[in-house]
Amino acid sequence: MATTAGQAKRFQASSESPLSVLLRVALIVFFDAGAAWFIQKALVQDFIQLAIVIGIITLMFNLIFLLPKAYPFRWMAFGLGFLILFTIYPMVFTIYIAFTNYGDGHLLTKDQAIPLIEKIKYLPEGGASYSWTAYKSPDGKYALWLVDPDGNSFLCKQDEPIIAAKPGDPGVGAADSKGIPASVEGYERLNKLLAASDKTLPDIKFGTEDGITVQISTPSLASALQVRYKYDLASDTVVDQENGDIYLNERGTFTTKDGKTIKPGFREVVGLENFVNFLTSPALRGPLVTIMVWNFVFPTISVLSTFSLGLAIAIMYNDKDFPLKKLIRTLLLIPYTIPSVITILIWRGMLNTEFGVINRILNDMFGWAPPWTVEAFWARVAVLLVNLWLGFPYMMLVTSGALQSIPSDLYEAATIDGAGGWRRFTAITLPLLLVAVGPLLIASFVFNFNNFGLIYLFIGGGPPIAGASTQAGYTDILISYVYNLAFASSGRGVQYGLASAISIVLFFIVGSITLFQYRYTRMWEEVSENV
Amino acid sequence: MSKQIQPNLFGSQKFQKKLSVAIRLVIAVFLILFAIFPVLWIISASFDNSNSLATQSLIPAQAGLKNYQRLFNMDPNFAFSDLSYWRWLFNSVKVSGISTLLSLALTTMAAYAFSRLRFAGRVTLLKAILLIQVFPNLLALIAIYVIIFQFGEIIPALGLNTHAGLIMVYLGGSMGMNIWLMKGFLDTIPRAIDESGMVDGASNFQIFWGLLLPLLRPILVVIGILSFIGTYGDFILARILLTDVNQYTLMVGLQIFTAGQFDKKWGVFAAGALLGALPVMITYLTLQDQIAGGLTAGAVKE
Amino acid sequence: MRKNVLALISLLLIATFALAACGAPATEVPAEPTTAPVVEEPTAAPVVEEPVAPVEPAGTLVVWADDTRAPILEKLAPKVLEAYNLELQVVLKASLRDDFQVAAPVGEGPDILFGVPHDQAGTLVSNGLLAEVDLGDKAADFAPVALGACTVDGKLYCMPYATENLGFFYNTDLVAAAPATWDEVISVGEALKAEGKITYIMSVTGTTYDLYPLYTAFGGYIFGKDDAGNWNAQDLGIDNESMIAAATWLKDNLDKGNLPTDWDWANNHALFETGETAFIMAGPWALDRIRESGVPYALADAFPAGPAGAGSPFAGTQGIFINAQSENILLAQAFLTEFIATEEVMMELYQAGKRPSAFLPVLALTDDPDLLAMGTAGSNATMMPAIPAMGSVWGNWDSAIVLTRDGKQDPATALTEAGTKIRGLIANPLTGMVNVPGSYQAAAGCPGDWQPECAVTAMAKGDDGLWRSGPFALVAGDYEGKVALDGSWTTNFGVEGKQDGDNYKFTLAADANVSFVFDPATNLLEIVIE
Repeated sequence: MATTAGQAKRFQASSESPLSVLLRVALIVFFDAGAAWFIQKALVQDFIQLAIVIGIITLMFNLIFLLPKAYPFRWMAFGLGFLILFTIYPMVFTIYIAFTNYGDGHLLTKDQAIPLIEKIKYLPEGGASYSWTAYKSPDGKYALWLVDPDGNSFLCKQDEPIIAAKPGDPGVGAADSKGIPASVEGYERLNKLLAASDKTLPDIKFGTEDGITVQISTPSLASALQVRYKYDLASDTVVDQENGDIYLNERGTFTTKDGKTIKPGFREVVGLENFVNFLTSPALRGPLVTIMVWNFVFPTISVLSTFSLGLAIAIMYNDKDFPLKKLIRTLLLIPYTIPSVITILIWRGMLNTEFGVINRILNDMFGWAPPWTVEAFWARVAVLLVNLWLGFPYMMLVTSGALQSIPSDLYEAATIDGAGGWRRFTAITLPLLLVAVGPLLIASFVFNFNNFGLIYLFIGGGPPIAGASTQAGYTDILISYVYNLAFASSGRGVQYGLASAISIVLFFIVGSITLFQYRYTRMWEEVSENV
Repeated sequence: MSKQIQPNLFGSQKFQKKLSVAIRLVIAVFLILFAIFPVLWIISASFDNSNSLATQSLIPAQAGLKNYQRLFNMDPNFAFSDLSYWRWLFNSVKVSGISTLLSLALTTMAAYAFSRLRFAGRVTLLKAILLIQVFPNLLALIAIYVIIFQFGEIIPALGLNTHAGLIMVYLGGSMGMNIWLMKGFLDTIPRAIDESGMVDGASNFQIFWGLLLPLLRPILVVIGILSFIGTYGDFILARILLTDVNQYTLMVGLQIFTAGQFDKKWGVFAAGALLGALPVMITYLTLQDQIAGGLTAGAVKE
Repeated sequence: MRKNVLALISLLLIATFALAACGAPATEVPAEPTTAPVVEEPTAAPVVEEPVAPVEPAGTLVVWADDTRAPILEKLAPKVLEAYNLELQVVLKASLRDDFQVAAPVGEGPDILFGVPHDQAGTLVSNGLLAEVDLGDKAADFAPVALGACTVDGKLYCMPYATENLGFFYNTDLVAAAPATWDEVISVGEALKAEGKITYIMSVTGTTYDLYPLYTAFGGYIFGKDDAGNWNAQDLGIDNESMIAAATWLKDNLDKGNLPTDWDWANNHALFETGETAFIMAGPWALDRIRESGVPYALADAFPAGPAGAGSPFAGTQGIFINAQSENILLAQAFLTEFIATEEVMMELYQAGKRPSAFLPVLALTDDPDLLAMGTAGSNATMMPAIPAMGSVWGNWDSAIVLTRDGKQDPATALTEAGTKIRGLIANPLTGMVNVPGSYQAAAGCPGDWQPECAVTAMAKGDDGLWRSGPFALVAGDYEGKVALDGSWTTNFGVEGKQDGDNYKFTLAADANVSFVFDPATNLLEIVIE
């Protein structure tokens, strides 16, 4: 490590020219000014979280660019900034949600829900409802022609009392076929749509304060409506103006003592409830062992098979002068270039037990074909086969890139020492390759550990496990199994809170496996650093 | 098995090499069959007017161009003025192209620091980057939507329905596994190269730019293609952030045809997906020469 | 073109690094310049050109629709502008409901959401995303069943425009008339099979929804209804004798080779379309493909009957919704009633969607014999339950039928197990509830007496570990009651704390307040009369 230390000393020792310092400070001042403007704007609009995140990033930038010790981070400052904004912050959000009841029924925030609740109106006893027709004067004032259910008609001009009127009265035009006057003096009749296109119209109270007032509520009705619910901030309760019922905030739903509720509910922190729900849910009584075992077998075999095939292809067609090399490799990339949404469904059709083309061919040739969709073993083979097809081009790309980093003089030396092809592969190619792609193999393992899309689209977790105490199938992995229980069949719609809690539990499982694998395979040691 | 050696002068070796090439060509035929067999069915579905994904025979019973007409907005029954396949394709290439280049820049520089500089927290940060990938970021979509919405309220050019906003989100993923790949590649480049630069008095950046970057060409191309395909094929983020048909990327646009509850138009989707795969394949075909080669070109002469 | 793009790419790449290189010295800010392209490079896309209108439109309505409906609405946009001076912005959306669920809470949703199945309404309402719809006089023009499907908690939340249900297709080359019973389906089919004309008797396109007319012909159902006509999630019919009989019938015919062993939707359609099966149950969405296949077919006016009479399909309704956060709710409502709910527009929607219209004047004009036959066959249809408990049903039900089909379990076992699992999930919300169901409940505010699930009389646990409820103001008289756990009768305690014991009885000489105290340690109930 002598060289490393020497080098590290070197860049700190290199003296910075005054111009360069000035430029650096100028840039950071410029950046800070932009950030300050942005944060101020964000605060004005009440985007508190965004302001905090941008603030943290700005602080980080200042530290990185002003502290000489932080020099190496200058190489990745912008990457880290985007990482914080679009990966870390959403992660924090997911963790926060795990402690709330966010989901169907509690989708809005309290600040959004209360105005909606306060919009709800009711018609007080004895209050009248009318059908309406609107008229507008050139100076933008409105008049309404109201007809009550008994057929009595009224005219009310804005800011004037409501008066009984009939078509043909002074200042009122003759009735049309429906009994509505075609015109009102000084006003022009509007059709419903034209009237409704004025957003302020529903807010106008016709009639005078001391008498009855009428507001337009729907395209067909205008009535003496009253606001039904009033929210009281101090006691966090809602009072029903119609009958005096008091609604308390029960975990994000305003509820009376006797169980009446107001929709919509809103997001509320519920503590550890989601975790408790998960740990006491039927999910843990199901065939968990079967699912867990398969959940490890599936990604392991997937990674090994795709890596082996990808590497084999990369090595076989690596020679510069191999005929048709480019064409072969391009054709082999095809599975990776077509969206898997469609290719998985194509595979599903091809591997259909009764009608699939593969089984028709096999039946013609051997008189027997695997029952892909019926038997657990074959269903798992099918999933692995499809995943091999989907995944090998990625491994081919990655390994063919990584292979280029292996200096060919190493091979020459090995050949001179009399090493055979296999020996060269195991002694040189594989160890060096693993340094570069090892972490990607882990990532691929993790991706497949949670490869919900494939399992769900291809076979829906089937075939079902007979006699299981929860709905589960032989190809179900944890995430598809939990998805079914948490979303599809909970009977309570999507529960983001619960799902987040589950994903955090899953993260601890997968995360520790990942770290363990790293330790076990000793990839941190960066064996080939000084090759 | 594989061989990767320089041609030898011995005749028997020459014969062996020819045999090995022949065997590998035969294997290639089988592999290609495996790779494109399902694609044949997609092609068939794209010409199948009956709009069924799992046709029973490779030659559709009702062959025709209906799906392509629909795709190019030439079906008179379903003409929607904003539906433009070419615009989507252009949007896709533009968004993926720009975000690939920018993310390459971010990735390469960060990987350089991780490989060549020693600093406190280096290994922790590397581990953290890996662990972040493991987190099932379930609600990322909703959080990102809100961030971009709020960005747009402050800087409209970066808000919802802009390609810039989408690219920015894609860049958030650039500090991912590709750093590991790039760092692994850098690690295998001998330090001797850096040192030769230092002797000449070059700065870190000059070493990175002048000496290392040319050697990184193969892995740059590989990561570039990976990240291009990744963003090109994304429809989850793009679908939620792009709200106007004119701004759609290809994959988002194609989703329109599979949105129906029962009447999913898989034929049109198949046609669009096939044509959409072509730019990626052409790019790969063109750039492949760059992947070969590598470190043999005499750069490592201490 | 391609070359230009490549050149552009390489140029950009060079530019990115060149910018980075500007700050050459090692200690210089290396990454700073890379942002420049981020911020400036991808300019906001070309602004959509507004149609040049002579006057500023009086208002704008944003509508999200799918690829079938959007083109029609777009065609109508100029008319709307001309007649009402309203701008109609139609946005083609890939997944209406999911996108709406994300965008609407932020305030970025459309004014109108066009074409979502009715069973989504309940969730959207409980999320506070929907505004009420008032059809006014026009309500009379809509099919009452469809309006019912759009109603949540007694309020109308969507305007229905189409209904849909399965129909029973038969191949007219093979079969002269529609079979009246399922037995006849088999006997006619077996004869055809014996002659070698068909491979299987009937195509089967799914396990649950697609076979519902068969299950109902045997007397099966999913949920029963209470006296008020609402779905009763406690009355689950999935594992009753009728359902088991229907599943057994399926299994028998599978074993005889009368039905295909695989029930893939597309494959089974292909079987019917190529004449390899004589019958299929399919919906209006499949009409186009069946017609285009050229197979000679006809639709039965009724589903074949079984032991319980004619089978009935599930029915669904397509609706138009209004966003609760819209600034134009009144306008959107007026737009629906004044413009969409007209014969002309509804006719266009009908012609594009090929679904029976929910708008009666258009339905009356429907001349498509296939749709008419489907409508007749579906006159006894059950509207798909829009209650949350349905979510627990589909997967477990499907698994049970698949296990039966593949011979992994016999029908009775499979369906009984499915029933147990579903009940477990449905009962879940009430787990932990302690209640005193009894003859006083209606007086206390419950929908009726003897309801262990009624929240009004549920007990609350005190700090001393005892559960309490009340006081309830009751009039003089004789009353009975019992303790029940988890909102059901499964665990209940009577006198002396005995499981399934006798009822507690109490008599009020005069009107009084009554409270209950339950001790979980002894399972004893104390009745306090004041």
